[in-house]
Amino acid sequence: MTGDRETLDVDVLIVGGGPAGLSAALRLAQLRAAGKTALNVAVLEKAREPGAHLLSGAVLDPRALAELIPDFESRGAPITCKVSEDRVLFLTRTGKIRFPFTPPPLNNHGHFIISVQQLGKWMSGLAEAEGIDIFPEFAAVELLMEGARVVGVRTGDRGIGKHGDRKPSFEPGVEIRAKVTILADGVRGNVTKTLMRRTSIAADAQPQVFALGIKELWEVPPGRLAAGAVVHTMGYPLDQRTFGGGFVYALSATQLSVGFVVGLDYEDPGFDPHEAFQKFKMHPAIRALLVGGEMIRYGAKALPEGGWHTLPHCSVDGAMVVGDAAGFLNSLRLKGIHLAMKTGMLAAETAFEALQAGDTSVKQLRTFDERMRGSWVGAEMRPVRNVHQSFRYGLFGGLAFSGLSLLTRGAWVRDPIPSEPGHVRMRRRIEGREPDAGDVEPDRMLTFDKVTNVHVSGTRHREDQPSHLLVHTEVCNTICGDEYGHPCVRFCPADVYEIVPGERGETRLQINASNCVHCKTCDIIDPYQVITWVPPEGGGGPRYEGM
Amino acid sequence: MKIAVCIRHVPTREWQPRVDDSGRALREQDASYEMNEPDAYALEEALRLREKHSGEVVVCTAGPSRAAQVLREALARGADRAIHVEDDRLVSISTDSFVVAGALADALRDERFDLLLTGLQSDDQGAAQTGVILAERLGLPHATIVMDVQVGDGALRVKRELEGGWFQWVALPLPALLTIQSGINQLRYATLKGIMAAKKKEIRKVTPASLAAPRLAIVTLDVPRKTKKTEIISGTPGDAATQLVRKLKEDARVLA
Ligand SMILES: Cc1cc2nc3c(=O)[nH]c(=O)nc-3n(C[C@H](O)[C@H](O)[C@H](O)COP(=O)(O)OP(=O)(O)OC[C@H]3O[C@@H](n4cnc5c(N)ncnc54)[C@H](O)[C@@H]3O)c2cc1C
Ligand code: SF4
Repeated sequence: MTGDRETLDVDVLIVGGGPAGLSAALRLAQLRAAGKTALNVAVLEKAREPGAHLLSGAVLDPRALAELIPDFESRGAPITCKVSEDRVLFLTRTGKIRFPFTPPPLNNHGHFIISVQQLGKWMSGLAEAEGIDIFPEFAAVELLMEGARVVGVRTGDRGIGKHGDRKPSFEPGVEIRAKVTILADGVRGNVTKTLMRRTSIAADAQPQVFALGIKELWEVPPGRLAAGAVVHTMGYPLDQRTFGGGFVYALSATQLSVGFVVGLDYEDPGFDPHEAFQKFKMHPAIRALLVGGEMIRYGAKALPEGGWHTLPHCSVDGAMVVGDAAGFLNSLRLKGIHLAMKTGMLAAETAFEALQAGDTSVKQLRTFDERMRGSWVGAEMRPVRNVHQSFRYGLFGGLAFSGLSLLTRGAWVRDPIPSEPGHVRMRRRIEGREPDAGDVEPDRMLTFDKVTNVHVSGTRHREDQPSHLLVHTEVCNTICGDEYGHPCVRFCPADVYEIVPGERGETRLQINASNCVHCKTCDIIDPYQVITWVPPEGGGGPRYEGM
Repeated sequence: MKIAVCIRHVPTREWQPRVDDSGRALREQDASYEMNEPDAYALEEALRLREKHSGEVVVCTAGPSRAAQVLREALARGADRAIHVEDDRLVSISTDSFVVAGALADALRDERFDLLLTGLQSDDQGAAQTGVILAERLGLPHATIVMDVQVGDGALRVKRELEGGWFQWVALPLPALLTIQSGINQLRYATLKGIMAAKKKEIRKVTPASLAAPRLAIVTLDVPRKTKKTEIISGTPGDAATQLVRKLKEDARVLA
């Protein structure tokens, strides 16, 4: 029973308008035109505008794009800055050692430095011109299943007040039913998460391991880096047991993309990724690039780092999972856009054939997994299948391993190296030791506090709505303080979680949900797994112009 | 009733404006844009009036090509058709209300609307002039800061917001122009069906033959800087307290 719910029937429904979802949409439009068949395709995107929730480095390997849109340059793609040089630096506390050569996976010759938000916006314009229905401001909140078959999704109700009351503007969510649903809801996608819980697609896979990327866009005086320069760093400020590193990409002679990636399997509950990012910027080698410039945008987003062994079966009756949602990312190269695009295209081809054959069961859709393995996606991801896992043996173990795995095409004594979900690695805090108060005092020139940062992320949510972070707070108010010292106030890069004094002298968790930049970190790393991120009202979230 | 709603594409409130090298304009290339908020309320009011009195709602914007976005959004919420007065010179900060209102007047004159609505003011320039000048250019009566609209017998009764919590009811004949205050109604959401239907609706492009010369010249633009200053007042507690009160009154002006 749907009551007065609107319903919509489509042939293919794509959840998520990122590189994966939009590539699927564009490929379907091409196949539809070539096959002269009718086929309606809808794309749901929770952001206010397509692209607005996309954040990436980003160095683009144009391989998939060139396959999808061979004339992308003449069609005005926002892809103009070719990589001009690669540097890899190992940072010590105050010094740097430049790698004498660029390790092959970090060689970006022939690649481009782009803004993935711009890419998404451009691609969605192309898709719309091809007659694809793109629905921004609509978040998929529920996966619709009939038995083992995915039949579509339900979008979120809108116009609900803080306490769950229906406001006069109330608009119930829509049931969208599709013959094939392509889940492209990105890293830790809420719909894919539901599918993984309700089916056994991830049963044979190793648990996914994630990382958090925090990024700022800077405007700097010319002369700091040549347009197209790519700098990767390792080492400081991370210890050897924490996976991660920094990057600086020169989008132009005056615009730098500066970011820091940290494995969401760190051990110290007192660790704060945002603070590590500040320390990274304060390092002389990085400070020299930024000082006197202006920080103009901020954002954060998780990425799936587990690689090959963590991939689920990507097809079920009526649906496929593509891009970051499934875990298609090459963590050694810190690249996922091309894999997201290619898997989106392969899913589109699979869906199209299945619809033509009149069979959208898993028997038919399973060819997606085969195509993927047989394509360059498999060829690229298999050899580096143990890389992230190897970093649990420490930075040098991981580095040595990364090198070895390239020589041996990934064959290794322990294959797969077992991985465990990141949150279980967080250690209890040491008895009696207070978590670090934080030793970076933001100067608001080079370093910033989280609130100032969130201010330039363009984040906005309609204030009067229920919190979209579902937290079993009894843990927070009882054992968490003693056991982990409330790590949420540190791991959230947007200051959503605050521990405040309660009325009777106790402490209580305050959730500033409207600050949330949808990075998904809390859903991933909270050690008790009591936080669930659900989509807020459609249109809410960051606005990552230029990211 | 044939109603026109004029809508402006403005930088989002979250955008941190930055002045360009000339010191007289903003760097608009790195802004993101959205529908001006009071205009959204004007659109909603028009849709409600159409539901009550039937007729047509036509949305109109004067702006560069990117501004078509607000028209599509308005069509998705239920407007019937749209007019885009398109000119790249109609960018937000460097054209004043006189130029914009002139371009709108030329495009709308022949349509002979019964009622024209605009937002009270734009979130970017905040001059609150476009609606008023447009009414003058079309030779129509107007009322500003409207909080309630009642239509009957070819005439209007509208409630205007005055200062200090006072309101005023005004009667005026149709055709007329009203500038609508935010909060006059509850905005509706665009529905999926509305978004799909919008694709089939007409957006008529109008290229203005010429644009009026602006009446305002921007001499200089400054972005307010947040500054934090710490001052330690020394002396005996009594003296320090007196000094503190004086500073709060005279320098910080937080005490009367
Ligand atoms: C800091 C950082 C740096 C990176 N650097 C690089 C790089 O240099 N090169 C590279 O190739 N890759 C890089 N990546 C990885 C790359 O950005 C991702 O692999 C890629 O964006 C994945 O694309 P996607 O379409 O699968 O997912 P996403 O880009 O995450 O897109 C998912 C979309 O779905 C939407 N969505 C999610 N849930 C819902 C829902 N329930 N309803 C409706 N819509 C929904 C989201 O709003 C989003 O628009 C980087 C990532 C990060 C975080
Ligand atoms: S609340 Fe969670 S998803 Fe939102 S910004 Fe914080 S960590 Fe990220």
